[in-house]
Amino acid sequence: MLSAVVLCASAQGILVTSAEIVPGDDEYYLNADFDIVLGAAVESALNRGVPLTFVVEAQLTRPRWYWFDETAGETRSQYRLSYNALTQQYRVAVGNLFQNFGTLAEALQLLSRVRNRALAERDALKKGETYRAGVRFWLDTTQLPKPFQVTALGSREWSLNSNWHRWNFTP
Amino acid sequence: MRAARSRLATLLRRRRIQYALIVILGFGALALYVLSLATSNSELFSRHYPILLLVNGGLVLALFGLVGFQLWSLLGKLRTRVFGAKLTLRLVVMFALMAVVPGILIYALSVQFLVRSIDSWFDVQVDRAMESSLRLGRSALDSMLKDLANKADAMAFDLSEVPQSDHLSVLNQLRERIGAQEATLFNQRGTVIAFSSAERSILAPEVPSAAVLRRVRIAQSYSAVESIPGQGLQLRVVVPITAFGPGQDVRMLQLLQPVPPDIAADADTVQGMYRDYQELLLSRVGLKRLYGVTLTLALLLALLSALAVAFYLSERLSAPLGVLAQGTRAVAQGNLSEQLPVPSRDELGVLTQSFNAMTRQLADARAAVERNQAQLETAKAYIESTLANLSAGVLAFDEALKLRACNVSAGVILEIETASLKDIPLDAWGTAEPRLAPFSAAVREAFEDAADSEWEKQLEHHAKSGERLLLVRGTRFQAADGTGRVVVFDDITHLIQAQRDAAWAEVARRLAHEIKNPLTPIQLSAERLQRKLHDKLGAADAEMLDRSTRTIVNQVAALKGMVDAFSQYARSPEATVQSVDVNQLVREILTLYDAMGSHIRAELAPRLDPVFGHPGQIRQLVHNLLQNAQDAVAGVSEPRITIRTEQKDGALLLAIEDNGVGVPDALLARVFEPYVTTKPKGTGLGLAIVKKIVEEHAGKVEIENLRPHGAAVRIMLPLLAPRTAARKTEAKA
Repeated sequence: MLSAVVLCASAQGILVTSAEIVPGDDEYYLNADFDIVLGAAVESALNRGVPLTFVVEAQLTRPRWYWFDETAGETRSQYRLSYNALTQQYRVAVGNLFQNFGTLAEALQLLSRVRNRALAERDALKKGETYRAGVRFWLDTTQLPKPFQVTALGSREWSLNSNWHRWNFTP
Repeated sequence: MRAARSRLATLLRRRRIQYALIVILGFGALALYVLSLATSNSELFSRHYPILLLVNGGLVLALFGLVGFQLWSLLGKLRTRVFGAKLTLRLVVMFALMAVVPGILIYALSVQFLVRSIDSWFDVQVDRAMESSLRLGRSALDSMLKDLANKADAMAFDLSEVPQSDHLSVLNQLRERIGAQEATLFNQRGTVIAFSSAERSILAPEVPSAAVLRRVRIAQSYSAVESIPGQGLQLRVVVPITAFGPGQDVRMLQLLQPVPPDIAADADTVQGMYRDYQELLLSRVGLKRLYGVTLTLALLLALLSALAVAFYLSERLSAPLGVLAQGTRAVAQGNLSEQLPVPSRDELGVLTQSFNAMTRQLADARAAVERNQAQLETAKAYIESTLANLSAGVLAFDEALKLRACNVSAGVILEIETASLKDIPLDAWGTAEPRLAPFSAAVREAFEDAADSEWEKQLEHHAKSGERLLLVRGTRFQAADGTGRVVVFDDITHLIQAQRDAAWAEVARRLAHEIKNPLTPIQLSAERLQRKLHDKLGAADAEMLDRSTRTIVNQVAALKGMVDAFSQYARSPEATVQSVDVNQLVREILTLYDAMGSHIRAELAPRLDPVFGHPGQIRQLVHNLLQNAQDAVAGVSEPRITIRTEQKDGALLLAIEDNGVGVPDALLARVFEPYVTTKPKGTGLGLAIVKKIVEEHAGKVEIENLRPHGAAVRIMLPLLAPRTAARKTEAKA
């Protein structure tokens, strides 16, 4: 566990540590955990007040050999992580909702846990059919202020992307 | 045609480049505009910034390609030395200099300004001021927070002294005393026990987060400045209330106090400024890169467009020169039919028009000259062919009697190379060609005697082939470049000869007729006299009679022979013409002579084409010649006669040579005339008959003396096709 933490801390980036789809009353929910390490450049930018936009995106598709894959359900949400230099607090905002944190770790803790995110309606999925589930978490550099976009263009430091983590799901 | 096609191809290529230019320039301007929009401030475009960069980069590459292609084709033209390519290059270089130098200058200045101005935003003092203002804001807020915390501590102390059951009633009172916005009491689990607010509209209290509650539960106070979007700043303090009694819960007091709006606004401004400043500071490199990339792309697009346009314009400017050069080359090669397209209305267009006009005039002039030349040549050729076909010789002199022109017949008749006499005065002809001395002297004399009038005289000319009798007429004429003199002469040798021959034939025929008639009676009378008187006379007289009678009979016989020879000479030729093998004929004759004991050597050609003619006449010809030869060698110690046949230049050469006495030089020229003989007993008709026969066979005969003594007669008889031979003979007949 310790070694894993050290490893994660040393390598900046976003990893999907676990992801599952659980059935609810009416819907299927997504539960996922991520390991987020911002890296020196991104963290420094954040601490100087540059807001970061993270996107978590999940997809449930049914493969079709004769046409494009059918999308059974998808969800996408944006998190905005910012730092207030005056109050020295981190804030995570989703839409109009927000929460302040005293430390970055607390804020990232919130970001890294996705719980009970509605993915698809129960009726939309057929029992016994195999679906392809995918989840990814990334830093949206297009939402950065323009000068950072130029900096982020083709830069490894600014490329925080878990890429698609996919698994098969059979309801 | 080919030129027109190549011109069309050039035009099409130029059109293509034109379209490519327009498209790329249009796109470039658009992309650059959008890029500049994105670079300045626009949310819409900032999202597509990378794509814009790519598009612009692609356009730059396309322009690079276009310029490279243009440069490559220009270099190709330079290598193949297309006219105007050098001018195009110079124009391109000038245009490029005009565009590139200021462009690069402005670019360098812009980059410099950009870097300077971006760098000038950041300053240690500004930095420090920012930090200080932030710290000032923080300390202001902190002091407010501390104040609130102190109040909260005091309130907690107060609350701890009153029993928990009274808390609800005391809370409002205490809150109003310290002037807080909102005061809330929680139990250990975070459940609201009491709540008091200055705002009546707030019905439910704001609960701190679980983490805060956890902290406070272990007897630590919590205080923080919280920013709430849209509501400004809020001070939150949570303190534990120490419980005295054992049955008492641990309670927590939360005080909320909004920061006064003006301070909050100032703090917000400071924080915003600080954030922006830090953002700028962080993105300094990015900004420089952003503006730099945009500027560089703009520069590249502008410069490359300028270059491409420079290439295009240069080519357009120098194209009419190329067309003119092509036209000039065509004219130089003599092609005047090509008219150049007029490219524009400027001076080059005027030049091209003038060139076209000049070409047209040249073509017209040349056509006129050619027409005149052709007419002159036709006229000249007509005169020349007339002169050449004239059997008469024509000599044209200038006033100083220098030969200016003559025709072929003149040379043939005079048997000289007329070219050697060109530009030699008539006086000097004698020295240049000794044979012509009498002729030139006579002509000169005649011109002097006749003054301006026409003259005519007969001249003897010693040509190589013998004496020629010429009828010469001379006159003066008026030429364009002064007066001239012309001499026309005919060779009348043959005419005179023919007249002479005809006269002789007539004489011979009459003589033969007149003489032959009395000869028979004379002979008969003499024989009768002898017969009648022989017995009546004495022996001596009878002897004399016999001798006289014999003399008469012999002389009459001789006379008859002579008359026969005459009649033979005068006789009209035989009508039959046939193929004659001369060798065979000669062999037959030689057997006859061999039988008589004469020694004649024969050198006959091994192969000889037949001659068409009269075998009897040719036989007589050979006989006559052999007879003459025998007569000539009669007194020579080692007589030698050779008869030779030879085929030479389509003619038969029959030569009979002897080593006899030869012919006296004085007689040599006239030896073929009748009654010219060297022999004491000759009739003088032998060679005349030979000549007559040879001429009847369209041949030639000549005689010359051999050294040390002897003579040779050579006869040339044409080996003609049967029909030609027959016609000749018929014509003669």
